[in-house]
This record gives sequence, structure tokens and C-alpha cells, in this order.
Amino acid sequence: MIRVLAIAALLVGMVPSAARAAEGGGGLINLDKSIAIQAINFLLLLLILGKLLYRPLLAKMEERTQAIRKSLDEAQAARAEAQRERAEHAAKLETAYAEAQAIRATALKEAAEEQRRLVEGARAEAGRLVESARNEMAQEVTRARQELRREVVDLAITAAERLIRKSLREEDHRRIVQDAIGRVDKVN
Amino acid sequence: MRSHERTARRYAKALYDVAREAGATDAVGQEMEQVAAVCAGDAGAHDVLTRPWIKPADRRGVAVAIAQKIGARKLVQDFVGLVAERGRADHLPEIVGAYRTLVDAELGRTRAQVRTAVALTDGEKRQLSGKLEHALGKRVILEEQVDAALLGGFVAQVGSLIFDGSLDGQLARMRQRLARG
Repeated sequence: MIRVLAIAALLVGMVPSAARAAEGGGGLINLDKSIAIQAINFLLLLLILGKLLYRPLLAKMEERTQAIRKSLDEAQAARAEAQRERAEHAAKLETAYAEAQAIRATALKEAAEEQRRLVEGARAEAGRLVESARNEMAQEVTRARQELRREVVDLAITAAERLIRKSLREEDHRRIVQDAIGRVDKVN
Repeated sequence: MRSHERTARRYAKALYDVAREAGATDAVGQEMEQVAAVCAGDAGAHDVLTRPWIKPADRRGVAVAIAQKIGARKLVQDFVGLVAERGRADHLPEIVGAYRTLVDAELGRTRAQVRTAVALTDGEKRQLSGKLEHALGKRVILEEQVDAALLGGFVAQVGSLIFDGSLDGQLARMRQRLARG
């Protein structure tokens, strides 16, 4: 508005020079009473234009300025939010990576422990099996020896019985009976 | 079998009581043994005495006739007649055994079943019974049975006491000792 008034004042200041040019004949503006009316008309026109056009234009400009500023603010907020989220994601990623590392380390440790335990169990089981096999083998050997001894004894006693039965004579029977009678004292 | 033995003991006790009153327990026992031996040895007599469809009076007559034939006294004749009449002739061996036990207990003697490879001589029998009497503290009657399966010597059993003087026993003990190692 100030600028408009300044322009109007400049134009009014130019009026005398224009009038003088008219006096010289052939100027653009006649310096008479109409100049005042024209000035008043001009001012009125300025006033109306200022009211009807300039103010809405300024309001529109201000509105657009506000919208742009708001958009800028929102963009900045979105960028800050994005940065914050990125930082947050990075932190989460870092945490997840650390957790994964910890889980991996734990799993490796547990696997090594399990492997050690399994190997020890397998060794112990193998030892037990070997010991059991040894015992069974020893028992089998003992059984086989006893069986063999029994068979040998059976054969020997059977052969002895046959020999005795063949070779026993009457006097042998009498002597055996006498020996047995002699041992009856030992019953009690 | 149990009731068989119980019945035999009842009959034996009754006979024993009557024989003791008569003062002839030992003689009655010997005659009873002879009757039982005849009945067991004669299949025809055994059949007649044990068949339930033969009249009791007939069975009694046969039993009395057998007893008379061996010269048994009247008591024995009546007893075996009664046993046969009541259909208990198949109990005779058990009755004789139970009676013998009663008489042995009365006379303070016991019986030794002796299984021998060859028959014992009289001297050996005397020696053996003397040794057994000395060991058991009572009179011993030997009941000898020759067993050809026995290798040599004898096995004497008195009640639950067994004396094994046979070669078979010695070989069996040797077999056990050798088998044990």
C-alpha cells in the first residue's frame, strides 16, 4: 500500500511538468481543473483496486506462503521422523545382530557340550559292552570247562564201573561188604 | 493212598490189641506176613479176594482157607477172613506193615532195609545188625534184598537214616568230587 501511494505521489509530482509541456503546446495532459478530478478518480481507483484486488491477492499470497511453510515444516518433521526411524531400525538391527551372535555362540557351546557328553556316553557304553562281553566269555569258558570236566568224569566213571563189574569176584564182594560193615560205626 | 494207609492202620491196631491180649504179637505178625505173601504170590487167590462182585462169604472162606493152609492160629484166620469179607484184602500188605511197626515199637526194635549186590552170609548179617544196633541203640531186624544192579557192597536204610556202603555210592561221590574239581 505504501508503495502504491508512493507511485501515486510520483505521478502527482509529474503533473506540473506535464502541464508545462501542454502550455508549450502539444502535451499529454492538460493542466486545468480536470487534473484534480483525474487525481481524485485515480485515488479512488487506487482505493477500490486496493480493496477489491490487492488485499485478496495479498491474502492469497499469505495463504500460499503459510501452506508452503506448513509443507516445509511437515517435510522437515517427516525427514526427522524418517531419520529417527532409521536410527531406531539401525539400533534394532544392531540389537538383533548381537542377539543372533549370542544365540549362535550359545548354540555352538551347547552343541560342543552335547557332543562331549555323547562321546563320553558312547565311550562308557562301549566300556560296559566290552566288560559284559568279557564276563560272558569268561562264564562261557567256565561253563564249557565244567561241562567238559563232567563229560570226562562221566566217561571215566562209566568205564570204571564196567571194569569193576567185569573184574569183581566173590572174594572181592565179601571184602567190599566187610569194609562197608566196618564203616557202619561212623554213621553216628 | 492216604486213606488206604489210615484204614490199614486201623485194622492193624485192632489186630495188635487182640494179639497183645493173647501175648502173641510177634507170632501173629509172622503168620500175617506169610498170609500176605501167599495172597500176593497167588494171582488166583488175590483175584478172588479183591473182586467186589464175589460174595463176601466166599471171600471170607478163601481167606480163612489160606490161613489154615499155612497153619496160622485162629486169631489170624478170623482176622484175614474179616478183612476179605469187608473187601479190604488189597490192604493186606499195608496192614502187615502197620502191624509190624506196632510190634517193633512194642519190642523196642527197628527194621533195616538192606539192598545188596550179592546175598549176605549169616556172619555178615550178624555183623551188620550188630553194628547197626550199636549205632542206633536198639535191636535191628535186617530185611535183605539182593539187587543185581548194585555194583558191590550194600545200602542199608533205617527209617530216614541211610548208610551207603556200596561201590555205586563211592563212585557217585567220586563223580561229584571230580566234577566239582
